[in-house]
Amino acid sequence: MNGGPTMRVAHMRFLPAFIASAAFLLATGAHASVAKDAVRADIDGIDVVALRTSVQDVVNVVGSLPAGDDRSPPGNVMLATLTGAMLDKGTTAQDKFAIAQKLGNVGAVLSFSVDTNTLTISGRCLRKDLPLLVGLMAEQLRTPEFSEQEFAKLKVQVQGAVRQQQEDTNFRAGDAFSRAVFPVGHPNRQPTAEQMLADMGKTTIAEVRQFHQQYYGPTGMRLVIVGDVDPAAAQAEVRKAFSGWTSGSLPPAVTPAKSAARGQDETIFMADKTSVSIVLGQATQLRYSDPEQLPLRLGTRIFGSGGFTSRLMENVRDKEGLTYGIYAYMSGDTFVDGAWRIEGEFSPALLDKGLASTRRQLDAWHADGITDAELKRAKSELAGTYQVGLATSGGMAGAILLMLNRGMPLEFVDEYPARVNAITRDQVNSAIRKHLDPAKMTLVKAGTVEKAAPGK
Amino acid sequence: MKRAIAAISLVITLAIGPALAQAADAPVSVPGFKYVRTVGTISEYTLESNGLTVLLMPERSAPVVTFMVTYLVGSRNEVTGTTGATHLLEHLMFKGSDAFNDAKGNSVKQYLETVGGNLNATTYLDRTNYFAVVGKEFLEGYVAIEADRMRNLWLHEADRQLEMTVVRNEFEQGENDPQQALDVQINAAAIIAHPYHHSTIGWRSDIENVPIEKLRAFYDTYYWPNNATVSVIGDFEPAAVLALIKKYYGPITRSPRPIPQVYTTEPEQQGERRVTLRRAGELGIVGVAYKSVAGSDPDFPALNLLGTILGSGKTSRFYKALTDANLTLGATASAGFFHDPQLFQVYAFLAPGADQAQVEKVLLEEIERIKKDGVTDAEVATALGKYKASTAYGRDGSFSIASNLNESIAAGNWTLYYTVDDATAKVTAADIKRVANKYLDVNKSTTGWFIPVQPDAAAAAK
Repeated sequence: MNGGPTMRVAHMRFLPAFIASAAFLLATGAHASVAKDAVRADIDGIDVVALRTSVQDVVNVVGSLPAGDDRSPPGNVMLATLTGAMLDKGTTAQDKFAIAQKLGNVGAVLSFSVDTNTLTISGRCLRKDLPLLVGLMAEQLRTPEFSEQEFAKLKVQVQGAVRQQQEDTNFRAGDAFSRAVFPVGHPNRQPTAEQMLADMGKTTIAEVRQFHQQYYGPTGMRLVIVGDVDPAAAQAEVRKAFSGWTSGSLPPAVTPAKSAARGQDETIFMADKTSVSIVLGQATQLRYSDPEQLPLRLGTRIFGSGGFTSRLMENVRDKEGLTYGIYAYMSGDTFVDGAWRIEGEFSPALLDKGLASTRRQLDAWHADGITDAELKRAKSELAGTYQVGLATSGGMAGAILLMLNRGMPLEFVDEYPARVNAITRDQVNSAIRKHLDPAKMTLVKAGTVEKAAPGK
Repeated sequence: MKRAIAAISLVITLAIGPALAQAADAPVSVPGFKYVRTVGTISEYTLESNGLTVLLMPERSAPVVTFMVTYLVGSRNEVTGTTGATHLLEHLMFKGSDAFNDAKGNSVKQYLETVGGNLNATTYLDRTNYFAVVGKEFLEGYVAIEADRMRNLWLHEADRQLEMTVVRNEFEQGENDPQQALDVQINAAAIIAHPYHHSTIGWRSDIENVPIEKLRAFYDTYYWPNNATVSVIGDFEPAAVLALIKKYYGPITRSPRPIPQVYTTEPEQQGERRVTLRRAGELGIVGVAYKSVAGSDPDFPALNLLGTILGSGKTSRFYKALTDANLTLGATASAGFFHDPQLFQVYAFLAPGADQAQVEKVLLEEIERIKKDGVTDAEVATALGKYKASTAYGRDGSFSIASNLNESIAAGNWTLYYTVDDATAKVTAADIKRVANKYLDVNKSTTGWFIPVQPDAAAAAK
C-alpha cells in the first residue's frame, strides 16, 4: 500500500515481455472486436487510434515516434535519450514547474522516455482532463525550450542513473549479453556505461536542438487513446493540438544481425551481491512480423514464460529449489531482429547446479520439442486468458501500440486467438530447431562470482 | 534503457478505493449467510457456520471474476525464530493436498494456467492473500481448490527443504538492492518491540532453519474461516456466488481456539537513532523514518497528503529543494498504511557528487519549514487532485480494486476502502501542519545512510 520496499510478491515475477503478451490478451477480452470498435485516423500525419472501454472516468494515452537511440549517431550515443529527457524541462511558453502544476492539479500524469527504437509517450488522466493532457503533450513535443541550464542539470541526473544501473546484477548481465550477441551498429547492442558517460560529456544543446528538428514530427508518430473516451472528440483534440506540425521520419531500415555466431561467455564480478544474475541466449534474426516468430513464441512460453507450469519454473524452481525465478522470452524484435534468452538468478552457492539444471531443460526442449499435451494446455491457457477481459485500459492502450509498432494490422488483435489455435506441434518444434542452437548460446553471469581462470 | 532514466523517478501514490458512482446490488438472502452491511458498492456477508467474512462487489463490464481470500496473518504474527514463516508458508500453499496436486494434474497452478486465469499470492506485514482472475465459468473450479487448501494442505519436510532455497533466493535478490537492504535496517532500528521490527521476508537464518512443525503450527493457528475474508469482484450473481462459497467453505469448521492477537505495542521512542550500511555500490541513499499511525487512525489521511506534498513529482518540496538542485536523483515520502502504527518514511537517492550529510540537512530543513510555516492551500489542492485521480486509476480493472481492498482488510476494517477517501477530501492545510509537528519529531526518528564503497575496495576487503 505504501509502495514499501518490504512488499513481497511471492510467486511470480513478471518480465516485460510476458507483461506485454498478457496485457494484450487480457485487454482485448472485453471487446467483441477491437478492430471494429476502435476508431483509427490519419491526423495530419499522426496515426491515431481511439477506443472506448468500460473503465469509468479514466483515459490512457500512449504513443511513439521513431526518435529512439538507434537515431543517435556513432560517437554521440546519448543524443536521442538526452533529447527525449529534455521534453519535460519546460517549453518556450512555460517552465517545467508550471506544466507540472497543471498536471498535478488534476492528478494527470505525462511522461516521455526513450528506448532503443522510439520515443515513448505515456499519459493518463480523468476524462474531463483529456484536452489538457493532449495539449501539454503537443506543447512539450513541439516546442521544448532546451535551456542550457536545464541541460546541465539533466546531465548530472543521467550520469547518476547510468551509475545506479551499474549496481544492478540483472541490468549488468542483460547489458553485457546485448554486446555479446549483437554486432556493432545493431540497434539492440547497448553501449557501455563508459561510452555513454564519455559521449554525454561532449553532447551540446545545439546538437539536441538539431536532433529534435530532424526527427520529431508527425511522420512515423502513433497515438493510442483508450478508456472512458469519445473517440471522435479525442481525435478532434489531437487535431487541434498538433495542427501545423510538420517533419518527422519513418523508422530506419536495419540489416539483421548475423546468424547465431557464439558470443564470448562473460562473468562480471560485482562485490557484495547475494544473488547472481544470468542470461543465456542468442540473437534470433527474427522480427515479430516474421511468420515463424509466433510458433517460436508459443514454444518459448511452454518452456519459460507460461507462469508456474513452464518447464523452467516447474523443474529448476519447483522440483529442484534452485532459484526464485527463471524465465525464457523473446525480445527486441518489434522494429528489428531480436534475441531469445533465459534470465534467472541463483544463490552463488547454487549457481553451478542451477546452470546445469537450466541447460538440461534447454537441451531437452531443443532436442525433443514440446509435447502435444503441452501444446493443448498452452492453447487452452491462451484462450482462457483471452477471455479474462478485465485488464486495465492502460494495458489495452499499450498492447495496441505495441502491435501496430510490430507491423501488425489492428485486425491482428482480434485474429490472434485463431492464429495461435492453428499452430501445430510440428511448427513449434521446427521453429525451435531452426532458429535456436544451445551450443551457440552465450552465457553472461553478474554478481559476486569469480571469473573463470583463462582456458577454462 | 539503453539509457533509461525512468528509474530515477520514484513516485509512490496511494490508490485506495474509489467512491464509485454506480449503485450497489440489493442485498440477497441466502440461507446460511447473514447480511451485515453495504458500503459503497460492496456488500458484506458472514457465513454463519464458521465466521467467514464475504465481500461482494459486482462489476459486469466483462465476463470475468477476481476471487481473493485474505488471511489476517502476516509477518506481524511472527516472533524470533519464525520470521519469514508466513511468507514461506504462503509458498508451501502451492504444494498441494490429497484432492488437488501436481501428480493428479489438478493443482491450483495447473488448473489456473490451463483455464487462463491469473494466479498469485502475496504476503505482507498484516496479511497473506491468494487470488485469481478467471473467466466466470471457471470460478467454481478455483473456489474448490482455494477452499480445500484452507485446511487440507500438505506440509511435507521435503517440500520445505526445496522451497526454503527458493525463498532464500528471493531474500538474496532483495539484499542485492542497497535501498531494500537499508530499509530493512532502518525498520529494525526504528521499531524495537513490535513485530514490524523485521521485514516480511524475515531473517536469513530463520528462513533456512524454521522447522516444518512450526510452519504446521502456524497453519493450524491462522488458516481458518473465522480469520479470513473472501472478496469477489466482477461478473457474478450475488446469490449464486454465495451458494458457491457455502458449498466449498461451509463444511470447514471455525477454529478450535480463538485466533491469537498481537498484544505487543511499541514503547515510546525517546531520542533519534541512526544506522549505516556500507557496502559496494555507486550512489548513496539517505532514509529517515518517523513513528507514524495506523491506517485506521484519523490522522492518516493528512499524513498521506503530507507525503505527497513532500515527495510526489515536480510540484513537491523535495523535488524543488533536492532534485532540481542536483543533490538527488529522486526523493520520496510516504506514510505506511498498516494495522498498527508503523512509519512515515522519507528516502533520498543521492546524485553524483552529493553527500549524505548535505542531503540530510536540506531534507530536514524542508520538513522543518513545513512544521513552522505549514503548507499552502494550493499545495493541498494539488495533493488532493493527485489523490482523487489515483483512486480513479485504482478502479481500472477488478484486480486493481481487489489489491486495494486487500490492504483495507489487512488494516483492520475493509470500509477504509471508502472512508479514507472521504476523510482525505476534508484534509486542510492546518491539518497537515499539525500532523507534521506531531509526528515528524526528531526524537522519534531513525535515520539511515547507505554509504557506497567503491567496488574494488569492497572486493579487496574480502
